[in-house]
Amino acid sequence: MRYFLRRIGFFIATLWAAVTLNFIIPRLQPGDPAEIMFKKLQGKDAELDPAKIEALRAMLGDPAGANLWDQYWNYLGSLARGDFGISYTYFPYEVKTVIGVALPWTLVLVGVTLIISFVVGTLLGAFAAWRRNSRFDSFVTLGSTFIGTLPSFWLALLILFAFGYVLGWFPTAGGYDASTPGWNGEFLADALYHSVLPASVLLITGPIGWILGMRNTMIMNLGEDYVRLARAKGVPDAQIALRYAARNALLPSITGLALALGSMLGGQILIEQVFDYPGLGRLTAQAIDNKDYPLLQALLLFTIVGVLVANLIADVLYGILDPRARKVTS
Amino acid sequence: MALLEVNNLSVRYEPKLHRPLTAVDDVSFSIAEGEFVGLIGESGSGKSTLANALLRLTERPARISGGSIAFDGRDLVTMNEDELRPYRWRDISTVFQSSMNALNPVVRVIDQFRDAIELHSDLRGDAVVDRVKQLFGMVMIEEKFITAYPHELSGGMKQRVNLALALANKPRFVLLDEPTTGLDVVVQRSILEAVRTLQAEQHFAVLFISHDMGTVLDLSDRILVMYAGRIVEEHDSADLMRNPLHPYSKGLMGSYGDPRAQTVRITYVPGRPPDLSAELTGCRFAPRCPERIERCLSVDPELLPLDGARVACHVAQLQAHPEPGVTVPPRSPAFAGPEFVKSDDESKQALAQEAFVSVDGVSKVFRTRNGMKFADFTAIDDVSFDLRRGAVTALVGQSGSGKSTLARMITGVEKPTSGTITFHSLDGEALEVGGMRSGALRDYRKRVQMVFQDPYSSLNPTKTLGYILSRPLRNFGRLSGAELTKRVDELLEIVALTPASRFRNRYAYELSGGQRQRVVIARALASNPELIVADEPISSLDVSIRAEILELLHNLVQDSDVSILYITHDLLSARMLADEVIVLSGGRVVEQGRALQVIRDPQDAYTRKLLDAIPNPFADLDRPAAAGE
Repeated sequence: MRYFLRRIGFFIATLWAAVTLNFIIPRLQPGDPAEIMFKKLQGKDAELDPAKIEALRAMLGDPAGANLWDQYWNYLGSLARGDFGISYTYFPYEVKTVIGVALPWTLVLVGVTLIISFVVGTLLGAFAAWRRNSRFDSFVTLGSTFIGTLPSFWLALLILFAFGYVLGWFPTAGGYDASTPGWNGEFLADALYHSVLPASVLLITGPIGWILGMRNTMIMNLGEDYVRLARAKGVPDAQIALRYAARNALLPSITGLALALGSMLGGQILIEQVFDYPGLGRLTAQAIDNKDYPLLQALLLFTIVGVLVANLIADVLYGILDPRARKVTS
Repeated sequence: MALLEVNNLSVRYEPKLHRPLTAVDDVSFSIAEGEFVGLIGESGSGKSTLANALLRLTERPARISGGSIAFDGRDLVTMNEDELRPYRWRDISTVFQSSMNALNPVVRVIDQFRDAIELHSDLRGDAVVDRVKQLFGMVMIEEKFITAYPHELSGGMKQRVNLALALANKPRFVLLDEPTTGLDVVVQRSILEAVRTLQAEQHFAVLFISHDMGTVLDLSDRILVMYAGRIVEEHDSADLMRNPLHPYSKGLMGSYGDPRAQTVRITYVPGRPPDLSAELTGCRFAPRCPERIERCLSVDPELLPLDGARVACHVAQLQAHPEPGVTVPPRSPAFAGPEFVKSDDESKQALAQEAFVSVDGVSKVFRTRNGMKFADFTAIDDVSFDLRRGAVTALVGQSGSGKSTLARMITGVEKPTSGTITFHSLDGEALEVGGMRSGALRDYRKRVQMVFQDPYSSLNPTKTLGYILSRPLRNFGRLSGAELTKRVDELLEIVALTPASRFRNRYAYELSGGQRQRVVIARALASNPELIVADEPISSLDVSIRAEILELLHNLVQDSDVSILYITHDLLSARMLADEVIVLSGGRVVEQGRALQVIRDPQDAYTRKLLDAIPNPFADLDRPAAAGE
């Protein structure tokens, strides 16, 4: 129990530090942070647009004249309310609305493919390790190493070209057609149809890391004395593979999965760009292109929080799966 | 009919990248119901390969290439995994080497017993728990630990749990593969006691594999001596001690001396075992054998009966059954090879020398932090002693006694919390070790050098020996060019790696363990130190070559000005090498005195406990090799 409380304590402390840094860094620059930021983004001679500066100020929690301490409280307060200011790109929409629209697309596309990749990759890796040096192992290992060397956006372009343009089986851009988003069968089918190509790219490149990671740790585990002892005990092969070797080899992958789920909030920038998919990745790319500072900073904060939460989940899971981690080092 | 009958068993390694070799070559022996048999061999002799084969755990690239293993009359070699399963852990179980990994780290101990028991018996539920409690009782571990995870147990407890696990289904045969290697002497003692008692009660047959002659002889009824993949001698233990037949067995026996004698003599077997992947003719031990005759070089000796034992040696057979025209050396139970001698008079002389390192009231307190709380741990508690020039002082204690902390303070790596360590150098300076800054410390390191425990990891594998030895010469001596090469060659010759030209360009991995430790010692000597701190320099070496390194260290002290601080857990080897022994327990000096005095007449209870833990099969045996004067 002590272990879990400690983990949660660490989480809160890190979260606070990340949020506070996000507040402090712009203020460390001399002058009015909002104006400087604006000049930097728009070029030195740009005309100062009061609306934009005000938007920046709001984002920074910086109503002119308030002292630093009040500014900090305002900033924390607006964060708590989910008030990140107004996006330039999608003016006059609020940042939170913009992110809210993009979020489900990424969550579903990247989340689902990630989990499928993890399960498939881990199983393939475990099986390759169990049958190491077999034909299956060589095929899986060589195959995934080969695909792993290809840049994923290149693969995405290739697939887009082949199935989207040449064969014309799937749409080439977007998350859905003109129909209005809503929870109806027609829309869901349409969204699914649009997600086939990006999902297939993610499903081809996704499992590689899990396959190789699982295979290598599992081979190491198969050489451990406790696996040898299990064989000497007469434990059936399937049980040795699952309960002894795979159970222990899974531990590092669990941490990896949690971290991957966390950074998922950053979206798959390249893939979403190629397929013009309306998720967080494309939004991030747009925010960079348009120097949409409030949006970018909110996305950044979002990713940080995502990674932190994922870390917390990984720690808690690890504590459950590996009794050694629970021991508080004295 | 014997319980286990091994006939002409061979195991071959066929790796893809190296030449194939036969690690276990045509081995035959048998073990009767309830018999305790020991198997001795050096690392690389094939004993662990044999163990794996007996358990049918051989894995690629190794395979059983011939012969049979009959258990209860049925051949295990030809069985498939399903036919084998009923035998596993019900009839045949094992305790692996005391590596801490034999228990699955993420599963509670009781569940690891549960699958062993449920797979092979009708016990279920509470009956299993009762059985596990009963087994824990047998190995004297409190019942509350049955639900512990492996990492919550100490090393000794884990090995007891492994022993209990092996006995879970009342097996008829238990294979013990180096069950106590790596454990503390005192812990080792208690585990072997448990094995002995349980075996006497339950009458399971045992094959006890070890490189440690002392423990094997102590426990076994009968001994198999293995060398280079073959069994070279099979003999009743008591008789083997009195009358070993194979020269290799004699060599192993000779590596034990009686520490209580005025003058200790131990022999060692020079050279190294043959490369099994090369073409071998004649007797495999012949190149290292002091008794060899011409026939040994051409004809491979068979394992033949002799005097109620079996031995694979032409000379031993010829000594018993002379052939006209063939002269053999007279029969002797002693190994006619090189010998290391240490007399008590040497110690007396050495202790008359002036003290040059004074450790005065030294304490070391480590502070650990746990959240907001601090805890102080006193590793060294008010310790005082002197080191004398030209003498060997042994610092003896169990792990955790503080001996390594003390050594680190003397080398200047760690600073004492209180007290002083003063080093009086040859050029008349008095250096206060604790108060040194980096420049002075660098200079000090020239005078004090370390030799570490593991010669395998303390040499850079990608550099030649010449380079390894030239580094300290450049750093400390500022030598270069021809002068440097000359000094490198000198160092190699001092540690008897001759001719130097043959070793200069070789890599550490081409050398045997003993040779590597010589290189480590040569490197320590490069800066002409006044003190060498040797931390367990022989404990990772094979028994037959330990004396070789002890002799080298001994000669260094005799022939030059260097002194040695010898750190060990082994009182026996301390007696061999050291003039003075300091026994450390819980960070305090509990006993200090001339080596022989401490061994013969220990004052402190802890020293007596350490002494008792040393297996001494020769205790009540009048042996010419060890009797001394």
